[in-house]
Amino acid sequence: MNASAKQKLREFLKEALENHGDRSEFGDGESLFASGRLDSFTMMNLVMYLEQAFALDFSDLEFDAGLVDSVNEIEGLVDSKLTA
Amino acid sequence: MTAAISPSAESGAPAAGGKVRESRLRRFLAIDTRESFITLAQTAAGQLLITFTAILAVAPYFGIWAGALAVAAAMTAVSQPALRDRILFAATWATAFVGTVLGENDTLDNIVAVLQQQMVDLSPAVLAIAFLLLLLVAATGALYWVRRNPQSILARRPLVTLLALEALLCGLASVEFMQGLPSVMLWAAIFVLTPYIWFLPYAIVDVRSRGGSSSLMQLAVLRPFWSPAYLPFGKGAAFLRKHLAKTPRDLAITQLKGVKLLIWATVLFALRDGLSWGFEAQLQIPALAQALDAFLRGQPYPLIVGWGAMILSTAKFSLKVAAWAHLFIGVARLAGYRLPRGSWRPLESRTLMDYFNRFHYYFKEMLVDFFFIPTFFKVFRNHPRLRMFFATFMAAGVGNAIWHFTRDIDLVATLGPTAALETYTSYAFYCVVLAIGVGISQVRITMGIRPSPTVIGRLYSFLFIWSFVVCMHVFSDESRNHTFEERFSFLVSLFGVS
Repeated sequence: MNASAKQKLREFLKEALENHGDRSEFGDGESLFASGRLDSFTMMNLVMYLEQAFALDFSDLEFDAGLVDSVNEIEGLVDSKLTA
Repeated sequence: MTAAISPSAESGAPAAGGKVRESRLRRFLAIDTRESFITLAQTAAGQLLITFTAILAVAPYFGIWAGALAVAAAMTAVSQPALRDRILFAATWATAFVGTVLGENDTLDNIVAVLQQQMVDLSPAVLAIAFLLLLLVAATGALYWVRRNPQSILARRPLVTLLALEALLCGLASVEFMQGLPSVMLWAAIFVLTPYIWFLPYAIVDVRSRGGSSSLMQLAVLRPFWSPAYLPFGKGAAFLRKHLAKTPRDLAITQLKGVKLLIWATVLFALRDGLSWGFEAQLQIPALAQALDAFLRGQPYPLIVGWGAMILSTAKFSLKVAAWAHLFIGVARLAGYRLPRGSWRPLESRTLMDYFNRFHYYFKEMLVDFFFIPTFFKVFRNHPRLRMFFATFMAAGVGNAIWHFTRDIDLVATLGPTAALETYTSYAFYCVVLAIGVGISQVRITMGIRPSPTVIGRLYSFLFIWSFVVCMHVFSDESRNHTFEERFSFLVSLFGVS
């Protein structure tokens, strides 16, 4: 994932957090879903965003919330799918 | 983008980092943010105080032995971290076995009903204990099997496999030639298995994953001692692992949050009892079932009393759900798990989706994990709104209906499959309407249509959501004594339509 794509991802997550009344900063390694800051429906919106932004197909994936719990984990997931 | 709000682990506060307008009362009650309390909670005296307060809060609802056991187990587990898994395992299964013997759960009652129906003379307690032991062995074996066969159908589709097993057992138990002792044995097995159907999939998914917890820990949180219910409060070992307090200070704060939640649960139970006293005993507002019966007899209560019965029943049900969730999560927090609350300010819901998320968080999470996500990844991938609606429908409608049907599986035994399904029509209707409502709400949010943040907008949201909840409560009411048609006629009569 290049810097521009990562910045867009961070903006997406920032907006999601703001919609949850959460305006505090978040680090790349910080838990977003397991911590309760974002909910599971937002996770699915995130998946749709990733599918559209990176033309990915997650249908073969055994989905686990831990795969997208932080910016770093999302980046790792996207990179692994793009190189697969 | 959804506007649904997660119930934060910060009791009484919105999701972390959100703006909080704290009242004086809230600041006074915020013991988990005061250094003096946090320091005290890390001392032996503080731990004793927490234990004593928690037992006092829990005992009236769990019962004395179960309450004392739950609190003692939670406090011991945090004081002996090296033995945590073993302590949790011992407490969970002691609760299961002793609770069953003492008849403190549905299992024994259901077995007694089947024994009487089939006129078989056996000890229900012995049957229940034998099948509970068998279940423990089978669950251990299943986890072992899944570790070694991660591509098996049980490993890949745990819930579907378990529901299929339940359906097969129900089918066998209902056929004519199985009547008598075989039927009793099958039903006893079903009654013991049923609650675990909703816990085992979390364990199976976790043992398949990298870094999953040990089998001992998986078994320790199958109907854990803090919530021996049909719903996984705290989900499974994976979710608990992520929420375990990591430092002594974090643990002290988590336990203080647990105590606060237990006290809040007591307040909600008192409020529910106060509503009963004030409205039922003093103002003679009837229970919903009474109002329905009076209507069906042709002697309906005045409209205002009918609406009063509906609103009162909804309020009492909502308080009951919230209070029990707080008790369960409060005890789990004593064990060091900084879990999100089970119910979080449902009166502030802005949309139906938001209500669904706030009112019963762990129920929603279970439906999302087992119904929403699998559907979401499989269907309508090129139609985002339809995809979101259908997945939401599968969770709020289909999953909701299946969970409630299996929870009342004893009715299949006592009434027969056809009659049990007939008495379920009303709840099924509720599930369909709720699912459509929540689905539309979710799609509207993804389209960028959000509720107005103004005072009028908030008032509109409150009136819309709670009118919907009150009206639908007549169908979701858990008694099975009235048909869908009877409930529908009663509801429309409240609008002056005869």
